[in-house]
Amino acid sequence: MDIRFDGITMEFPGTLALDGVSVDFRTDEVHGLIGENGAGKSTLVSILGGSLAPTGGRITIDGREVRMGSPREALAEGVAHVSQEGSLVPGLTGAENILLGAEPRRAGVIAARRLRTEAAALVARWFPEVALDLGQPVNLLPMAERKIVEIVRALRGDVRLLILDEPTATLPAREKSQLWQIIRSLPARGVGVVLISHFLSEIKALSDRITVLRDGQLIATGAADRFSEAELVDLMLRRASGEGPAADAGRRREAGAVAMRVADWRTGRIHVPAFEIRAGEIVGLIGLTGSGHFGFARSLYAPAGVTCGACEIGGRAVALGRAATLRDAGVALVPDHRMENALIGEWDLRENLAMVHPEHAALGAGILSRRREEAEAGRVMQLLAVKAHSSRQRLTTLSGGNKQKIAIGKWIYGAAGRYRVMIFIEPTEGVDVGTKSEIYAEMRRLADQGVAILIASSDLIEIETVADRVVPFHQLMTGPEIARPQFSEANFIAAMSGTAA
Amino acid sequence: MTHTGTVSAVRPQRIGARSDFVQRYSTLVVLVLVFVVFALTVDRFLTAQNLLNIAQQISMLTIVGVGLTFGFAAREMDLSVGFTVGLTGILVPLLLINGVAAPLAFLAGLGAGLVVGLVNAGLVTAMGIPSLIATLAVGSILLGINFLLTGGRAIYGGLPEGYLWLGQGRVGGVPILAFFMIGAVAVAWFVMERTIFGRYIYAVGGNQKAAELSGVKVRFYRAASLVVCSLFAALAGILLAARLGSGQPNAGERYLLDGLATVFIGMTMLRPGTATILGTFFGALFIGIVNNGLNLLGMDTYVQAIVKGVIILIAVAIVSRTTKLTLL
Repeated sequence: MDIRFDGITMEFPGTLALDGVSVDFRTDEVHGLIGENGAGKSTLVSILGGSLAPTGGRITIDGREVRMGSPREALAEGVAHVSQEGSLVPGLTGAENILLGAEPRRAGVIAARRLRTEAAALVARWFPEVALDLGQPVNLLPMAERKIVEIVRALRGDVRLLILDEPTATLPAREKSQLWQIIRSLPARGVGVVLISHFLSEIKALSDRITVLRDGQLIATGAADRFSEAELVDLMLRRASGEGPAADAGRRREAGAVAMRVADWRTGRIHVPAFEIRAGEIVGLIGLTGSGHFGFARSLYAPAGVTCGACEIGGRAVALGRAATLRDAGVALVPDHRMENALIGEWDLRENLAMVHPEHAALGAGILSRRREEAEAGRVMQLLAVKAHSSRQRLTTLSGGNKQKIAIGKWIYGAAGRYRVMIFIEPTEGVDVGTKSEIYAEMRRLADQGVAILIASSDLIEIETVADRVVPFHQLMTGPEIARPQFSEANFIAAMSGTAA
Repeated sequence: MTHTGTVSAVRPQRIGARSDFVQRYSTLVVLVLVFVVFALTVDRFLTAQNLLNIAQQISMLTIVGVGLTFGFAAREMDLSVGFTVGLTGILVPLLLINGVAAPLAFLAGLGAGLVVGLVNAGLVTAMGIPSLIATLAVGSILLGINFLLTGGRAIYGGLPEGYLWLGQGRVGGVPILAFFMIGAVAVAWFVMERTIFGRYIYAVGGNQKAAELSGVKVRFYRAASLVVCSLFAALAGILLAARLGSGQPNAGERYLLDGLATVFIGMTMLRPGTATILGTFFGALFIGIVNNGLNLLGMDTYVQAIVKGVIILIAVAIVSRTTKLTLL
């Protein structure tokens, strides 16, 4: 069987998630699908799995045009989707999960013994080499075995193509090999696999063919042994020529005193031996998804679970005790996913801006003065050129870029310059081009006032535009830093894939 | 943390001015209509005497509802309020009858509310039990305590005149209870709308993650919302016993469901989806007017219960078309 996508386009209001992608999937291969976040992988497999209908293009199976309007219709065509999050019912056993919704019945009652034997037969048919305890509630099984239960359930019907979305993302390293063998064995058993993973080594090891997506476009597709890992990274990240960095956001000054210095910093599996940032400089953190740059940036503000050799802010040692320690010492965070992490949609702009320092507008005893709040909110909004008709407007009425300005403004409202380190994570996600350059200019302005700015971003052009130096992450560690004169996409990519000279 | 599937479908949310008005005020408009219909059709409805009666009838309910509003604003539900009302409604008369001075007895009543609130808050924030479950269990325990304290019988006789006056007396025709209600609403409104404390309670309920990353002490405000809730219930209990002239072990029970109803009706107006003090007050007023009007028409309490249920459903249905109501 051969499923062919022909010029598939997916348009959401304001976003072109897929732009004329043509690719085919076969039942005799593992087909690796890679791309950075937002490249269109999830959209592509959602269309393949029937949960999204494309806005343009054709899908054919062995030359016959098909419409897969729902996961059920896709399943009828032999396509099953195992999602990243997992779809097992925790309290039920492996057997019950495998036959969920298709339980053998006798007189309307589930026939428990037949259920056990049928489920065991399914496992034995597909993966005779695997010994699963199907009587255990699945939440007690190792992660890899849970995934296998899910895969067996997906294979229950007449399935020819299996979509596996980040199947090993939640697996401990020692359990991966078991799942790898399972995945590798499927094409020989007549089931093709579409594999999404952000572990390039895994993609390389398992795939027969690899397809690279970037910004909704198909960049490359071909036999897996044609690409090296470095080439794959390059394909995932490199922009089309002509799409260079935006004009420099302003003159650069000499960096000042050290604003923050950490040593032997560990959070989760991320380890940073030494890192420092000076007043007035803008440091960019780059890395592939999962390489640790976002986690490190976040932990510099919210150090729950961090152990470190030393942590100094403004030349003074700081002990990580309470969650608020670093904020109190002058570290601010403008997080990614602003609607989940930074803002309250039903509130007006004034209330959102006043979230960090409401006491600025307090008359004493915690009583708020509306007049003072509106004055300060107005000042911040003017400073950041927020496009809104009043500070009493609901936040949800703003555009993405203006919402982001409010998320930044929270650390300016009533702060009186107490933040000497400001951390930005994906500062321009969902922000239009015009507002992007305004946000860069604001970062530069803050830096000129002596704030140390740290940006963790997956947008290399952004980093190239605003950063003074770059610290790359590779496999949860920092690599050798890159100074501004050495900025180039090629150098960034080399550093991110660990192949820097 | 990985985030795949970053297809953020930015849906243009242009809610027209008219639908915004419908959302915010439809329940109030219905309230006014109901009031007008009763005024035109029911003989003794629109008299100063009767309106003051309504105020008296809804005062304890409003006070309980105001407390619940603090909890809801922080997305915590307190299912023990009815039994807290019962507890202080027994404890205070019991102390008074046994010769404890009134101020001391009142303080003991509020202190009991404080203890209940702290227990609830501790179970929720320190032990991580969802408030719905923790307060349900605490409510059950309180019910048992209430019956143990009284042996299942009402406590009456020998209550000081001054105490009974709080629940039954009037000043210039206005029931004392109405003053308590207005005071409770005014103080609670001020705290919620005009102080950092209230702002942060709303922040925790509005977006806990954003509040936390903004430096709000989320656990403190979740706990505080539950403590405030219990304190208002304790006050309502003290007043209830004064109104009834006796302490009864199960007198508070109906305040749980009716109190929740006032908050739900309130959440359909002013700031749809958010529990507000004024919304809750109007919710209580709604229930009070309907009950009173139907009473004067000679309807059974069963009919009142049915009408109350229908009102809640209609109010919520109107708002649910545009706003997703999430409680916890």
